[in-house]
Amino acid sequence: MQDILIIGGGISGITTAVEAAETGYNVTLLEKNPYLGGRVIQMNRYFPKLCPPYCGMEINLKRIRTNNKIKHYTLTEVQNITGNEGNYEVTLKINPRKVTEKCTACGECSASCPIERKDDFNLGLNTTKAVYLPHELAFPYRFVVDTKACIKCGACVEACKYGAIDLNMQAETIKLKVGSIVMATGWQPYDASKIDNLGFGKYKDVITNMMMERLAAPNGPTQGKIIRPSDQKEPKKVAFVQCAGSRDENHLPYCSAVCCLASLKQITYVRENIPDSEAFMFYIDVRTPGKYEEFYTKVKGDERVHLIKGKVASIEQDGDSLTVEAEDILSGNKLRVVVDMVVLACGMQPTNGTLNNISRDQNGFISQVQGNGIYAAGVARKPADVSSSVQDATGCALKAIQSVVRG
Amino acid sequence: MADIIKPDLSVVKQIISSGGESLKKCYQCATCSVVCKLSPDDSPFPRKEMINAQWGLKDKLVSDPDIWLCHQCGDCTAYCPRGAKPGEVIGAIRKMTIGHYAFPEFLATMVGNIKYLPLLIAFPVLFLLAVLGATGHLHIPEGEIVFGHLMPHTIIDAVFVPVFMFAAIVFAGGVLRFWKNIHGQCNGKCSFASIIPALISVKLEILAHNRFRKCEVNKGRAIAHMGVLYGFIGLAITTALAVFYLYILDRHSPYPLNSPLKIIGNISAIALLVGITLMVINRFKVKAQAGIGSYFDWLFIWVIYTVVLSGILSEVTRLLGIAMIAYPIYFLHLVSVFFLFFYAPYSKLAHMVYRTIAMVYARKAGRD
Repeated sequence: MQDILIIGGGISGITTAVEAAETGYNVTLLEKNPYLGGRVIQMNRYFPKLCPPYCGMEINLKRIRTNNKIKHYTLTEVQNITGNEGNYEVTLKINPRKVTEKCTACGECSASCPIERKDDFNLGLNTTKAVYLPHELAFPYRFVVDTKACIKCGACVEACKYGAIDLNMQAETIKLKVGSIVMATGWQPYDASKIDNLGFGKYKDVITNMMMERLAAPNGPTQGKIIRPSDQKEPKKVAFVQCAGSRDENHLPYCSAVCCLASLKQITYVRENIPDSEAFMFYIDVRTPGKYEEFYTKVKGDERVHLIKGKVASIEQDGDSLTVEAEDILSGNKLRVVVDMVVLACGMQPTNGTLNNISRDQNGFISQVQGNGIYAAGVARKPADVSSSVQDATGCALKAIQSVVRG
Repeated sequence: MADIIKPDLSVVKQIISSGGESLKKCYQCATCSVVCKLSPDDSPFPRKEMINAQWGLKDKLVSDPDIWLCHQCGDCTAYCPRGAKPGEVIGAIRKMTIGHYAFPEFLATMVGNIKYLPLLIAFPVLFLLAVLGATGHLHIPEGEIVFGHLMPHTIIDAVFVPVFMFAAIVFAGGVLRFWKNIHGQCNGKCSFASIIPALISVKLEILAHNRFRKCEVNKGRAIAHMGVLYGFIGLAITTALAVFYLYILDRHSPYPLNSPLKIIGNISAIALLVGITLMVINRFKVKAQAGIGSYFDWLFIWVIYTVVLSGILSEVTRLLGIAMIAYPIYFLHLVSVFFLFFYAPYSKLAHMVYRTIAMVYARKAGRD
């Protein structure tokens, strides 16, 4: 009998899993990607300490590895949930990785594979082969076959010295009985191409904040060099456009809670990487609550960082550069800033699902139904930063345990 | 030292109740000022108007020429992240401004509120009935249909010339006060001598609808407005011709359909009808993005409809020889024309005057 099911293997799901398991409960952790770590593992650094995500993540992964009360599944989705608090039956679909535990991650398979696919871990900034390692520090550290891209040519099967590739591996369905369920399904970046006046998808050098994380990450597509997608040149002037689709009835009506700090953090990437660079951050309000105020003050103190109150409502390409237009509200005049690159601070949209037992608010975040033993942790519940998500997830572990005890 | 702001809640309520109900949703992001293709670079609109309206700063609002540079394209409303509908709010501010400059102000209050509509209609109806009664014309005339038999031109002139003069005087008073208010912001560039050439170039721009064509969301608006404007200009020319025919040539109506007066008049009426219909269609088409407009807007639309339809129908029923219908419809036509002119300084029609003045100012002050 598994006691608690946790859906989503990002920072919130992992936290709930290890916290509950370390109090003695059996937990099952599911992740639909081929690796654990969720969105956090895609980040270059956390704010405000600016340490890399492996900081916290490595310890957590170790806690998972060394605790036999945690069972984790990657490439797994929930198909159905029936029952009630204390007595749930869950149907899981485990998608085929097509690479077995024999894999040593030597990379011979990738080298032999003729097919390229967009690297979704790097938000499409580069490509990988159809058999690939999701990222440098993936857990589990094992290759995976993209079943949609693979043409089953068999080159990788031949190349693998360990016989670790099985292209005929099929999806499996299993059933689990659990007492309570924690939804830690997290978020996806808002689709910036829906914001028709900001030029994403039209101009190559208009990128999103998640793309910026990958550009700045040492294990990213450019090994941490911040360059323009159009011509691989270093951008000297970078504009950060806040509330790109957030706090906007036409897109996401809510504040995503992290984008101001994320942009301030990314300004430090630009300023550190490119010493003669200049950053312009256009905002409606800068929201850096509590102790984060210090971080805001620190970034603002850099004389090559310009914070402008006024939302960008037009971006146009002009030859080699981009013209960003806003009304500078403090002066009351229109401002056109010519920059080399634009970063859209896109908000967080809750990952949607089709499970009918889950109740959601008008924005798609999961809301608690009293007494049903299904909980939500982290961004699945509301927009939040990493440290709030971790706190939320820890609290959620207790809720989930209470349901098991009651059940 | 910053100005001390004195918020006026009654002004806020007035704007909210006259079509600006979304006003309070604005959170000052200034998306509107940027997406507006008509807004100048220096102190653009409508973001500053939104905050002035939220604080109820009536003095600033009524002396703000920018509210007239706005053509209510609705681009700001479409892109507004809060559903604050700046286009609709600015429309409500214009309504308040028209009321502010009109005299007596209670007439403006009445024009702006649907509950007074029966009273507003009753006035010209009863007045014109009284005129018919006093002149012994309170019946359907016998014989061939000649509208002069119901109300001879001398009586028409005796009624409508004073109505027109009344409107002109009220407008003149409003314009003088408005100009006095905006003149100070012109930095000495608005000398009297330079106004005339500016006025001419603005008139040419209005005829060409250059500013109007910059609308993005509501692209059809310029064409529709052109139909209405040219329709009215054509009808004004028709009226002038009618005066010429009557008093110079001594030719009395009805005129044959092939007379220049009739041709111009009929084409103008059709242009007006097509224009106003396109305007209604456009409003419904962009309702979701740009807003449907307020009672103040719609009253004006319905008055134009009544004028043009009663005009066309009285001509048609006259030509068909149906006296029982032709004369009552002609009476309705007279009522609607009376309504249009008499209430003009208090209605949306006043935009014609204030917008022109504001555009002259904008041209002189380099804001267009």
